[in-house]
Parts: sequence; structure tokens; C-alpha cells
Amino acid sequence: MSDAMQPLHPNQRKLLRVRIFVFALVLVVAAAAADFALLRKTEMPWGVLSIATLLAGVAAVLVLPRRRYRAWAWRMDEDELRIASGVMIRSDTVVPFGRVQHIDVLRGPLQRSYGLASLVLHTAGTRSAAVLLPGLEAQEAERMRDHIRGKIREDLA
Amino acid sequence: MSEPPTAATGIVADRRLHPTTLVSRTLRAIPEAAGGMAAYAALIARADASQIVFLVMVALALAALIAFLGWWRFRYGVGTSEIVIESGVIRRRRRVIPFERVQDIAIEQRLLARLFGTAHVRIETGGAAADEGHLDSISLADAHGLRDHIRGSHVVTDAAGGAASSSPAAEPMLFEMGFGRVLYSGLFNFSLVFVAAIFAVLQNVDEFGLWRPKDLPPDMVERVGSAWLAASLALGFAVLLLGFVAGVVRTLARDYGYKLTRAPNGFRRRRGLATLSEAVIPIRRIQVARLGNGLVMRALGWHRLDFQTLGADPKERGAQVAAPFARIDEVRPILAEAGYPDEREAGEWRRGPVLSFVRRGLAPLLAGLAMVAVALALEPLNFIAAAVLLLLAALAPLRWHRHRHALGGRAFYVRSGVLNHSIRIMPYANVQAIEVTRGPVQRLLGLATVRVDTAGAGAGGVRAVDLAAGDAAALAGRLLDLFNEHRRRRKDARGTGSVAVS
Repeated sequence: MSDAMQPLHPNQRKLLRVRIFVFALVLVVAAAAADFALLRKTEMPWGVLSIATLLAGVAAVLVLPRRRYRAWAWRMDEDELRIASGVMIRSDTVVPFGRVQHIDVLRGPLQRSYGLASLVLHTAGTRSAAVLLPGLEAQEAERMRDHIRGKIREDLA
Repeated sequence: MSEPPTAATGIVADRRLHPTTLVSRTLRAIPEAAGGMAAYAALIARADASQIVFLVMVALALAALIAFLGWWRFRYGVGTSEIVIESGVIRRRRRVIPFERVQDIAIEQRLLARLFGTAHVRIETGGAAADEGHLDSISLADAHGLRDHIRGSHVVTDAAGGAASSSPAAEPMLFEMGFGRVLYSGLFNFSLVFVAAIFAVLQNVDEFGLWRPKDLPPDMVERVGSAWLAASLALGFAVLLLGFVAGVVRTLARDYGYKLTRAPNGFRRRRGLATLSEAVIPIRRIQVARLGNGLVMRALGWHRLDFQTLGADPKERGAQVAAPFARIDEVRPILAEAGYPDEREAGEWRRGPVLSFVRRGLAPLLAGLAMVAVALALEPLNFIAAAVLLLLAALAPLRWHRHRHALGGRAFYVRSGVLNHSIRIMPYANVQAIEVTRGPVQRLLGLATVRVDTAGAGAGGVRAVDLAAGDAAALAGRLLDLFNEHRRRRKDARGTGSVAVS
């Protein structure tokens, strides 16, 4: 199934870590606030919720980026793009270039600071209406877009 | 191919909708407006009848005013290559639909419209619903004229004959249902919609305080109690009967005079008792054909054929009915006309490994057992839920056994359903994307699902569920190869066929 699929750019792992860190931080702060404001008045020993959330957050930051990063892989073939993704539900999608309606290259602020971009292939399909491939090096993403665009033109000619 | 829509080339939107539109729109708005007003009146003050009548009149006037404003501010204009529609009372919206984008022009006549000789014209573009054009309503003659005008000006590429001057009456008949057939098919469309409506009314009656069993004297309550079983049996029977009647009535209203003819670029479907509707299913937009039937229908040898089309009316859940109730010999010619192979060309049907029924049955089995525990410990009523879940688990082997796929010469076939059978037929060239997915349980059992995405697909697309992981990968690869091969072939055929495609 996977003869030499390419991993995402290593920076994607760092980006995921930052994202998960921020998300965990928000949760920990919220838990701490709840602890101080509300739970202190109940019989529950206070601090338990904060510490539990903190531990879960640390675990998430240590484990999740790696798992998510590893779930992704892609390969550009002659006439199609293959993308593997999903941690729990593994998915392996093939999009023939002839079916691509238009292509987006997305760069969010965080992605820009890591020099990354996402490629989005839009098809007329329903579930695969927008197939996302994140964590590409920005120039690579643009090269891929131009290549696929050329393929679409060829297909229409 | 993808030039931008030309800037509206000076077409003046100077035509208005038919004036009788005012009447039908006002009438259509009454139930809502009057109901709302009456409820409002009943709510704020215990208003007497005359006050309610006054409020209803106000509502009526309001509805008429809104209808008038809408009509006054709605204009359209037809040019040589596009139609312009301007609408909106306060915020004006100007929509330009180039004829070459028009995929389908549906003409529908509701009961009132038939009295007035008008029709609702829907111009479908195959894009989002927001890109479509509605003319509700114009005179029937204008509607036909408009359709011929649009058809005539843009070349229909895959039509054998000339598209311009075809009259629906002269088109070859593909499938027709007589009165008896429609009536008969209604029996299979058992529907509880009337029952639901009656219960809704009863509930309202109760709220208005007209019916209060609590107020009965105690000895009466006792007697009512003893008659409970008989009453509920009778009620059950009545509900059942009403369900059949509702099904027949609804089917008759929808499918009366069902005719499917071969239009220049697709199938033209005309049907309806009070509301006459006419729609064209363009063959080029058909993505998947689905042949199906329920248990009783199948036992009596009846089938239903529908087409999943691109940009189809969401009301029809992405599927356009071609033949709602037909013998297999009547279905096959329709498929052939659409250029689709029928179920006999499927070749060898394949099935996933037996483990699949473990995957399908595991979740309902565990949930069912948990429910049994809950029922034993806490609340006996949970036995019902437990029974449903365990039945679902018991059906898993049947579902596995029934679910098969086949790689035919021209199309991919998927069969599924235990009680309601269905066969999906998808020509290889219609693939949009191919996906192999593996959930946690599937990974544990070494299974995988192949899902083929098509344009305008409903939930799930065309799926071969729970194949052995290796077979799934092989199937995905094979489908991709077949897609490339058929697409190339189709393109070559188109290239040599018609030259005059602009």
C-alpha cells in the first residue's frame, strides 16, 4: 500500500506541539479558575482538578504531536495525489488530478512562522469535497499546486 | 471551458411575473400568518372571536402587501445568451445566469397555477442552490417559450438529434404508470404522516381544554380503564389502516400520470395529480444508478430505479426517481438508455471475510447486553431497547452476507441491505476520489472499507465495507486504474464525436 510515502515537513511537528500546548494551557487555566472560584466552597479537595488537567495537558503535549504528525503521509504520482491521515480512523485517500476543480494553498500566521503551508484540493465529490494536506514546506506546496494545475490543463485540453 | 460569466451585456430586466402570482402567494401565506396571529391573540389576551377575526384580516392584508412588494420588485429579462433576474424588496440582488450553465429547466404547476394557466420555472445550474433561478410564476406559454429559447441557444452536445424544436409529446416513451399501477404502488408507501397530524391536532385540542379525561367521574374512569385493551387494539388497527390510506393518497398525488420520456439530453419526467411537475434528468449529470426494493415489493417482483445526479434537488435527497414501481424488464431499457449497464453485467460478486459480522455486530451486542443488565437491575422497560439492539446484532451476519461488490466491465457495483435491497451501479469514469479507511476495530480484525466518492453523493457514497485489508488496497488500486482507463476512453470518444462544441 505504501511504497515510500513522504512524511510531512518536520516543522509540522513543532507547529502541532505549539497548537496543542496552547489548547492545553487554556484548559489548565480554566480548570485552575474553576478550582479557585467554585470547588473551594464544596467538599471536594481543591487542587485535584487543576493537577489532573495539568498532568493530562503535559501528557498531551508530549504524546499527541508525534502521533498526529506520524499519521500523515503523502505521495505525488503521475496522475494522482495520495494522502494518508487519521490517528484513530486511518484513511488513505487518492485524488485523481483530473477531478480537481480548484486548488488552494493556505498559510495561517502560525504556519507562516514555521515556513509551512497547507494544500487543499477541491473536487466535486461530497465527502472528499475538500481534501486537505497540511504541513508542507511553503515552496513545495506552491510547486505542487503549479504541477497539479498543469495536469488539470492537460486533462481539459 | 471556464471563462468568467460575461458581464451582463445590457439586458434590461423589464418583465414581471404573472399577476396571478399575487393571489397564489397571498393564499399560500395565509395559514402561517393567520395561525400565528390567532395563536398570538389567544396567548396575550383571552380574545373573543371578533378580535381573532380582526387579527386574521390584518394578517391577510399583511400577507397580501408582502406578496405585492415582492412581486413589484421582481423583474427578469431574457437575452440571447443569458437570463437576468433582479429581486429583493430592500436589498436588490441581480443574478445573471448564462444559458450555457443551465443544466435543467423544470416546469411545475401547482393546483392554483393550473387554474390560472401559470407555471413555476426553476432554472438549475448544477452549482449551489444559491446560483439557481426561480420564476414563480409566469404564464405556461411563457415558460415553454423560455425553455425552448434557452434550449435552442445552447448546443446540447450529446444529443443525437437537434435539440431546438422538440416537443415533449413527440418524445419516445420509456416508462409509464397507469392509474391502477400508481394506486397499487401506493400500498407500498405506508406512511404515518396523517396519524402524526391527527395526534398533533389532538394535542392542541387538549391544550385548549376541550378534552379532559381527568374531569370524568371516577366510576367512568374505571370503566374506561377496563376497555383500554380493546380500545388500543382498535386504535392500532385504525392507525395501520390510516397509514395505508395515507400512503396511497400521497403516492397518487405525487405519481399520478407518471411518464418518463427520452428528452434530447436526458429523461423527462412528468407526474402529479394536483401539482403537475415536470423535470428533466440530464444524462450527463447522472453519477450513480440505484436499483432497489423492499421486502414485499421484491417478493412480488417490483423494483425502483433512481439516479443520483449532480446538483440534484435537495428535496429528493440527491436522488432523482426514474421509475418508482416497475418490473425489471421495464427498468433495464431505462438503464440502457442512460448508457448504464444493468445488474446482469456485474460479473462476479465478492464478499468481505466473515470477520466483518463481528465488526458490525460487536457494538450493538455490547450495548444490548449492557441494556439487559440495566433492565434487570433498574428499569424493566429497558428490555425493549435491549431487544432492539440485540436484534441489530443478530442482523449483522445477514448484513455481511448480503453486502457484496463487483467489478463489472463498465461499472463498479455494490449490493447491500437485508430487508431493503439496493444495487448501486457506478461507471468507473464517475469516480471523484477513492478512500480506504480503517477504524480501530477494523484494524484489530485486519479489515478495511473502500469508499468511492462521487459528485452529489448522499451519505457514504459507494462503499465496499469490511474487506480484508489487502483486498481493500488492491480494490482501490484497481478502481483507480479502471477510472483512468475509462476516463481516457470517454475523452477520446468525445474528441472524435462532436467537433462543434465551443
